[in-house]
Amino acid sequence: MDNIFYGVSNWFILAQVLGVITIFFEFWTYQVKDKAKFFLISAISSFFWMTMFVSIGIATGISTQISLIVAASYSTVRNSVFAVTFRKNTMQSKEGGLIFLLVMIVVALVAGTLAVINTPPQVRWLHILGMITSITFVVCQYLPGVHYVRAAVVAYAAVVLLTQSPINILEGYGIERWNIMGMMIESSKIISVIVFYVRFAKNPDKPQLQFAKP
Amino acid sequence: MYQIVSDGGCDFSPEEVKKSGVAVVPFYVSFDQQTYMKEGVDITKEVYFERLMSEKTLFPKTSQPTPQDYIDVLKPFLDEGKDIFLFTISSKLSGSFASTVIAKDMLSEDYPDRKIELIDSFNVSIGQGLILREIVKMRDAGYSLEKTVEETAKVIKSTHVYFTLNTLEYLKRGGRIGPTTALVGGILGLSPILQVENGEVSQLDNVRGRKRALQLIEAAMVDALKDDLENINMSIGHIVSEEDAIAFKANTEAALSIKIPNPITEIGVTVGSHAGPGALAFAYCKKYDKVS
Repeated sequence: MDNIFYGVSNWFILAQVLGVITIFFEFWTYQVKDKAKFFLISAISSFFWMTMFVSIGIATGISTQISLIVAASYSTVRNSVFAVTFRKNTMQSKEGGLIFLLVMIVVALVAGTLAVINTPPQVRWLHILGMITSITFVVCQYLPGVHYVRAAVVAYAAVVLLTQSPINILEGYGIERWNIMGMMIESSKIISVIVFYVRFAKNPDKPQLQFAKP
Repeated sequence: MYQIVSDGGCDFSPEEVKKSGVAVVPFYVSFDQQTYMKEGVDITKEVYFERLMSEKTLFPKTSQPTPQDYIDVLKPFLDEGKDIFLFTISSKLSGSFASTVIAKDMLSEDYPDRKIELIDSFNVSIGQGLILREIVKMRDAGYSLEKTVEETAKVIKSTHVYFTLNTLEYLKRGGRIGPTTALVGGILGLSPILQVENGEVSQLDNVRGRKRALQLIEAAMVDALKDDLENINMSIGHIVSEEDAIAFKANTEAALSIKIPNPITEIGVTVGSHAGPGALAFAYCKKYDKVS
């Protein structure tokens, strides 16, 4: 794509737009209580997140983004499968969704372990923390209720923020590892959870479980 | 005057059957799919659930009363010149209602002057039992058969049943959930909260831990009933979990500041095979004279 702004690739600009769309959907995701809807919005968010990395990859070289593209694609597929599982809400769909979840956890464990081995020793703890929180997040997505997934996403987002912020610089990575859009996306998750609980606190009398009136 | 007849899905105790004057046509249960025993006649609930708990791979089959079973029960009343109010478990859960249709067709030829009203409860167990108690009250209040049928439809609409399970084991045995779901659900300590909706059982929520499930049920119940307490009737049931049911009843009464007059019900085989020991159930409906 030709440059519109001097010195800035249009693909890079597109990536920023996709990033903003991702922020919007990430924020929306954690305002939703219904599981099927939660996963649908989350899948849409993951899709835009994935296309953001593709755009950056085209702008800066796809090899630099390939691991992120794979991770975002994995997230898109996982959320889409869970959205269908919870929407159908049948014995077969739940069984299938659960088997899929277990496979995803095994894949994430293997891929995460390999990635951790290849990281510099001084920041390995952070990547191990990343792996643990990301797997916990996936498991919590599947758990009942609204609290587990929100607690897990805050922990996960906090760790991702650490990998893209001055903590890494202190550990020797350097300023080129700063990812402003990534930090904004993760921050939007944390802010969304805070907003959710502020809203939730405003309706303390409304029970989590609701029965029909006679 | 009319005779009230119900299938065994109502889970009335022998004492309540005697006291209410309702004739109950029992369900069948079989452990080997060859010998079928009548619930409450050939086998008690206690023996049934003991065997269910002790034999880990056992999944007994239940079967609805046959048309002939209904004919055998109805005929003496028709001979006495009584009309019949025949009440069944949800037709979406059992073939009991279909059996009553056949029985009515066969009997109508021999008793052309008698009325036989078939009513599908769209419910089961304590829900069906709760509605049946209102029907008994209508009869005792002198309602005609036609009026009772009319008002029963309204009571049925106002009835809601919720239950929570202590284990996923029996849902797995009955093929209602897969083995992976049962295994992972067991590890995570999930307690499903189920409801009877439009005559079918569906999952309302899934909660971690039985204590939490009961807390949520209690909170949801208070929220649903607090503004309508004088107009409703309630019932609590259990499967081999009487202590929990007594505690649950006491907590509910305290939370709502009322007394639940209905006895705690021992849930029978129709629900028991799938829900399994440890299940607790709660039902409510509008009183017959408050539905209009």
